[in-house]
Amino acid sequence: MTKRAAQAAVWAASAAIGIWLVLDVVRQRALGVDDPGLYFVVVATTVAAVAANGVARSDRHAVLAVLMLWWLVAAVGSDAGVMWPDSRLASTTYFVFTGVVIGAYVHMALAYPSGRVEGRNDRLFVVATYTVALAWIAIPALFYPGCTSCAPAVPSLAFTGSTFDYSGIGTAFEWIFIVLGGVFVGLIVGRLRSWPRGARLTMVPLAVAGLFATVHFIIRQAAILTTWSQASAALDWADRINLVAVPVAIFVGVLAVRRRRGPLGDLVVELGNAPPGQVRAALARSMGDPSLELALWLPDHGGFVDETGAALDVSKHVGGGRALTVIGPPERPLAAIVHDDRLVGQRPVLEAAGSAALLAFENARLQAELRAQLLELQASRARLVAAGDAERRRLERDLHDGAQQRLLALGLALQLLQNERPDARLLSEAQDQLQAALHELRELARGIHPAILNEKGLQAAINSLIDRSPIPVRTDIECDRLPSPVEIAAYFVVSEALANIVKHAEAQAVSISVRLVDDRLVIEVSDNGHGGATPNAGSGLQGLADRIGALSGSFRLESPAGLGTTVHAEIPCASS
Amino acid sequence: MRIVVADDSALIRDGLAELLPLHGFEIAATCSDVTALTDAIAAAKPNLVVLDIRMPPTFSTEGIEAAKAIRVAHPEIGVVVLSQYVEADYALELLRSSPARCGYLLKDRITDMRVLAEALRRVDQGGSYVDPELVDLLLRRRSATNGLEQLTSREREVLSLLAQGLTDRGISERLWLNAKTVETHVRHILAKLNLPIDTGHNRRVLAVLTYLRDAGVSDRCP
Repeated sequence: MTKRAAQAAVWAASAAIGIWLVLDVVRQRALGVDDPGLYFVVVATTVAAVAANGVARSDRHAVLAVLMLWWLVAAVGSDAGVMWPDSRLASTTYFVFTGVVIGAYVHMALAYPSGRVEGRNDRLFVVATYTVALAWIAIPALFYPGCTSCAPAVPSLAFTGSTFDYSGIGTAFEWIFIVLGGVFVGLIVGRLRSWPRGARLTMVPLAVAGLFATVHFIIRQAAILTTWSQASAALDWADRINLVAVPVAIFVGVLAVRRRRGPLGDLVVELGNAPPGQVRAALARSMGDPSLELALWLPDHGGFVDETGAALDVSKHVGGGRALTVIGPPERPLAAIVHDDRLVGQRPVLEAAGSAALLAFENARLQAELRAQLLELQASRARLVAAGDAERRRLERDLHDGAQQRLLALGLALQLLQNERPDARLLSEAQDQLQAALHELRELARGIHPAILNEKGLQAAINSLIDRSPIPVRTDIECDRLPSPVEIAAYFVVSEALANIVKHAEAQAVSISVRLVDDRLVIEVSDNGHGGATPNAGSGLQGLADRIGALSGSFRLESPAGLGTTVHAEIPCASS
Repeated sequence: MRIVVADDSALIRDGLAELLPLHGFEIAATCSDVTALTDAIAAAKPNLVVLDIRMPPTFSTEGIEAAKAIRVAHPEIGVVVLSQYVEADYALELLRSSPARCGYLLKDRITDMRVLAEALRRVDQGGSYVDPELVDLLLRRRSATNGLEQLTSREREVLSLLAQGLTDRGISERLWLNAKTVETHVRHILAKLNLPIDTGHNRRVLAVLTYLRDAGVSDRCP
């Protein structure tokens, strides 16, 4: 039920009850009825309706209030048969509401405090009660022929035209109701027992409902067993008292919880929910002082600032009907509130509210700070990796342009020498050593940074890795040129994964897939080896995870024993 | 045979300029960058250009670009690229632009003038040259479906030399086989690998090399 619909229902039901009560009093006075029961019912019903409206003021309890009023409407509505004994419509209303009121009572009591009947047992019981009560009243509604000097005197609109003696069925239903009453008491007692101690205040209405059901139950039993002549009157009074007891108890229960939290609690909740920049407004609203100013103390700044961070000289605002409340020790204030000086009497509230506002601020500030730090950390990680990559590239170039060129020149010189002394054995040995050195140097440079990655991109560089793989590799690579950090990271994922497979996995086949999916480069390297790989600290895999983390990517290693290993990495490719 | 040497390192330029004449080559000019190389070619009209793959300004693969440009502008001039990288993609890029009169040689080879001299002669005679280490790398690679497992070990030997750019006669000299036998081997190899038989020699080198290159990486997942 929406909030709006609940409010409308509360209004409509309250109005109906009010009109009904006036009609009832007028009619009964006209008939000369003047007994305490009548006035008690009027007062009790009014109090109950007022209580229901009180409950409805809290949005959270609007549905509960609707259920309370539904029950009250049914309770007073069942009087229709007495008010207009000669109206068949009134007779019908009487029958329907006489049944409904029983179910509505159980419904209201068990829907407390949330407005919903929670739990399968409770729901089943509510449905059962409605069903039994309506079935019980369906028999007279269908077969009651009417009788003079009875109320109602005429049959209902649903009357079938025939009748029979259904007093036996009525007795059977009496027993069923006694059983239902017992179950109801059982449900309530079960709830009271299972609820935590902190919920004690909220138990009041249930305790009352349970007590009433019990008392009613005992009176009924006693009346049946002893054919007690006053039983009817006693039951009437129990009903009348009940009319006010449960609604008032619900009202008290709801109110008690609100009271316990108090307006300050509401304020704290509101401030906690206030979006950044709205804390002052929330405070002003709840204190009812629209010109209220909130000032925060900045220790670095040595002064107060307002919510937006602009400096605020509080002394200028004080005087002329404005007062200052400082929060925290005067020599080391945390915050201050400039407010209407008529609020001085509310200082404890203001102080508490200011502290709550401060909490909200601190919270927002810490979050912003944390976010900024995370961003900075992320950027710094990315910079570190980029710097490392640049360094590797430079190293590779230096090896080629420096050491390698010198070794090559040395090789040329050796050949010139050899030309002059073709028989020198040492010279040819030196030549061989030189070849080996050049070969090692080339592989070293390649391992540090493969030049082909810059030149031709990821696909060519991975193909070059595969050229060197002793294990057959299947590939599925679909990507054009990507930002350099992404290419380098992806290359090292494949390179490190392949190296691990060759070293440890004893695999017969490897498959490499590199694809661009929604601006993320998804890399997967899997083998059919023996699995069981772990990204130990200091291992190449851990380094990979760090490298990819620095690019805000994700890295996952799946290596169930005996089922091969899959390295899965995703790197966001937003050009950077 | 007149040769222009292009390398940004003076040590290498001077060394080659001193060594090559000892092996019967004539140095027409030496230069240190691509612009100077273009001028030198126009002025000296060499038979052959030997150039480093890394040249100014970016020191990456300018050499390949320059070699391709030379082959287009001067089809009569052979080009040998000296490379620091054992990368099939670079060699293929070069040979694809012009399989004839092209060589891709590891730079290490200048420390063994006999190898360099063979490469220069073969390219000068209109052939192609692919460094044996690169061919070895591709042949060593194992793949479940690369087709090489159908070859006998003798056929693999022949295939390797074929990929390096040797002619049938060159292969028969290298392996001490008679020309007829080599021809038969070559036919068998090409048939087993589903490669065309009737193309010219240099096209065949390119086809074999492409085959070897793709054999390891082309068995893509669907």
